[in-house]
Amino acid sequence: MIQRLLEQNRELSGWRINETATASYELFFVHRKLETVRATDTVSTSVTVYVDHDGKKGDSVFTVSAAMTEADVKQKIETAVRRAKLVFNEPYELPEGGEESAELPSNMKDRDPKELGRQIADAVFAADTVPGGSINACEIFLYRDTARVINSRGIDKTQQKHWVMIEAIPTFTEGAESVELYEDHRFTDFDAAKVTAEIARRMAEARDRFTAKKPKVPMEINVLLRPHEITELLSELADDLNYQSAYMHANLHKIGDDLQENGDGDKLTVTMKAQVPGSEASASFDADGAAFTDTSVIRDGVAAANFGSSRFGQYLGVEKPTGNLPCIRAEAGTLTDADMKKAPYLDCASLSGLQLDLYNDYIGGEIRLAYYFDGEKTVPVTGISMSGKLSAALAALRLSDRMVTEGAYEGPQYLLLKGMTVL
Amino acid sequence: MPFSTYLDGKRADCRALVAALGKRFPYVSVLGTDVRATAIRADKKSSNVQDGRGECGFVVKMHDGRSFFEYSLDDLSGDMNALAEKIETAVELDPDLRARMIEAPLPQDEPLKQDFLRETDFAEYDEETLLNTCKALSNELLEKDEHVLNAFAMIQPFTVSKLFVTKNRELSQHYGWANGILMVVYGGEKMSQARHVEGSDKLKEIIEGMKAHTDDVIQLAEHLTHAQAIEPGVYDVITDSSITGLIAHEAFGHGVEMDQFVKDRAMAKHCMGQYVASPITNMHDGAAATHSVASYFFDDDGVLAHDTQIIKDGILVAGLSDLASASQLSTAPTGNGRRDSYKRKAYSRMTNTFFEPGKDKLEDMIASVKHGYMLFETNNGMEDPKNWQIQCTAEYGIEIVDGKLTDNYVSPVVMSGSVPELLKSISMISDQFKVIGAGMCGKGYKEWVRVSDGGPNLKARVKLG
Repeated sequence: MIQRLLEQNRELSGWRINETATASYELFFVHRKLETVRATDTVSTSVTVYVDHDGKKGDSVFTVSAAMTEADVKQKIETAVRRAKLVFNEPYELPEGGEESAELPSNMKDRDPKELGRQIADAVFAADTVPGGSINACEIFLYRDTARVINSRGIDKTQQKHWVMIEAIPTFTEGAESVELYEDHRFTDFDAAKVTAEIARRMAEARDRFTAKKPKVPMEINVLLRPHEITELLSELADDLNYQSAYMHANLHKIGDDLQENGDGDKLTVTMKAQVPGSEASASFDADGAAFTDTSVIRDGVAAANFGSSRFGQYLGVEKPTGNLPCIRAEAGTLTDADMKKAPYLDCASLSGLQLDLYNDYIGGEIRLAYYFDGEKTVPVTGISMSGKLSAALAALRLSDRMVTEGAYEGPQYLLLKGMTVL
Repeated sequence: MPFSTYLDGKRADCRALVAALGKRFPYVSVLGTDVRATAIRADKKSSNVQDGRGECGFVVKMHDGRSFFEYSLDDLSGDMNALAEKIETAVELDPDLRARMIEAPLPQDEPLKQDFLRETDFAEYDEETLLNTCKALSNELLEKDEHVLNAFAMIQPFTVSKLFVTKNRELSQHYGWANGILMVVYGGEKMSQARHVEGSDKLKEIIEGMKAHTDDVIQLAEHLTHAQAIEPGVYDVITDSSITGLIAHEAFGHGVEMDQFVKDRAMAKHCMGQYVASPITNMHDGAAATHSVASYFFDDDGVLAHDTQIIKDGILVAGLSDLASASQLSTAPTGNGRRDSYKRKAYSRMTNTFFEPGKDKLEDMIASVKHGYMLFETNNGMEDPKNWQIQCTAEYGIEIVDGKLTDNYVSPVVMSGSVPELLKSISMISDQFKVIGAGMCGKGYKEWVRVSDGGPNLKARVKLG
């Protein structure tokens, strides 16, 4: 109905419909007891209209709810046309052509969510074996997302994802004292042993947080980041190279800039990718329906390319825009386990959140749990924060020689920041 | 703009669905939401008028005498008995899991029928006027200073209609809010960004506030181009209202969300009646506590808005609860049950969270600092209710030396450390008061709801890095 009404409107020069149907089955545990069972059956639909006028292009987005009648949608289109006529953006073309029906590989596709939900819960609570440990809360979301993009230039693409998110709170308690950590685990293939192992690792870290002490501070020390924080750091650098940031003059780095100037560390090579195995962020096309081209945005420490959506790519004169790539890969470095042990370090197992500010050349964060290697032995530490100059950290960084895949990231297991200030 | 005609037309269906599901579930509620948002934006090179973060749909909450069940859907139509059957099937459980369900008392369903309405002035402004205002503000910022590389002006009004129906209750509410944002990207010694945020349910006030602050935002951006990194250490600080609110929200607010009590995830559960802050400290939360972005009339569980005093004279006296957590704790819900949207679960969430004003003058507070910083503007924060550690980031700070603000700007400024140490270090509280209604709050890393926070200026001692 929406497509027909859009095609009937003579004032439009183009349109796009994005529709995501989500069916979910959700379990909410309080300790080991199930508090709430939820199910959802919803569709989100947004429509973008484009109107060429006065040598410019206007666009406007509106949402369509299931409750809307044909008359409602018609009125929404007319309102959006009016809004688009108020907008004077530089012209660009919508991506054209192509039908596709994609599906992320998943072993959960044909499973009964009720049975699968129970199996996932069992896999989570199988890790609850640490004396003094408990999983104080756990939320399990089983999703089936079907996303479709249609536009006025012949694109009609669909992709389906079956994926699961587990949010678990591993806790360790002794007497009146208790500590916890946060675990967010997402996957497209269910492997019970892997889920149990992941939660068990976090359970052990919760126990370590309990015994952790505040080390002597201040100190200058090498800091190891793990994949979650490496992803945050590299994504921040990559976002700065997005077409939109460059077009809006909101970017710090330009193509050819050396992000690791005068550095003696491992050189960063970062590639934005369409897919990483097992990641729910993986996609076959972006919100425009544009096909992806994996792109190395940083090569040997130098900003090598921009990436992003079709519109802003065209604004920058890019012949074949890459699409808004959702995943990230970094190449391995030279840091071996033996190298790591050559000097004291803090291995950050849990941060409140990596704080990054490109403009103010800052990197830092509050450390909830780290493993402190003093040159001889390793002990858990807590109650500290680290900070430093981002440019100096990038120049001297080291990347481990061992690769891992975690979420939408594939790359070195550790990223070492030299000489951070810890307080 | 009146209450949603769509939801108004669904009252009978809601009642019919409650009755149909009531054959199996002793407690059934239906929440219908119709939130309409518009985002208007202009910058140097582009502009936009489009729908913002709205929603329209229903969530059904059920209690079977033992535990909770929910079902989210886009529309109520057709045969409500058939829909009830579909919902019952959708929330069925593996038998093994059924045996593991909690046993929580049935929620109260006190009879009440009421319609709530708070007027806005949104109808007085058409979209073209608002877009032209944004374009004019963007141009003004660009023309004021050649170092302004780009200037963004945004106005984002939204209206909320909600309908809540149970066997004994039928409530409706309609209200609105808007935010105005100015932001500049500035090229100087180094690049900087600065912004100014307005919040009100009157667009007239938003526009006037934005117009009045164009010089301020450029001046701040210029200062930030020569901001230095702070020398990590423990300092005396004076907070502006935004940072006061950030402390209230992150340092303590999350820690008294009582669904965390149920899960033994909050240290506050064990500290009721104890000193957790300096004796001059008083803190509140509530949709009815002040007028701001989260000032609804009833929450997403159909509980009327409260003004909850959390800290009284430094002593922790109350927490914030949704229906499910209050049921498990055998307490009365405080009107803090909130959802990201009808598609998501209700949790115990903050609304408008703030410290009460004190008696000190800001100038006396600054004069009392030998060496420290005045901290401004929230960037982000992260809670840790179990372990009472905090990380709060201010956009910038200004150094105070010998009781006077200097021209030395530092940015960004990350506060971290122990919550009780920070709150107990509060030694002065100003007589000023401001609540800023422009924030979004997540629980963990999801479940985003609109919140406000703020209060007076605080003097405290905290680790900065």
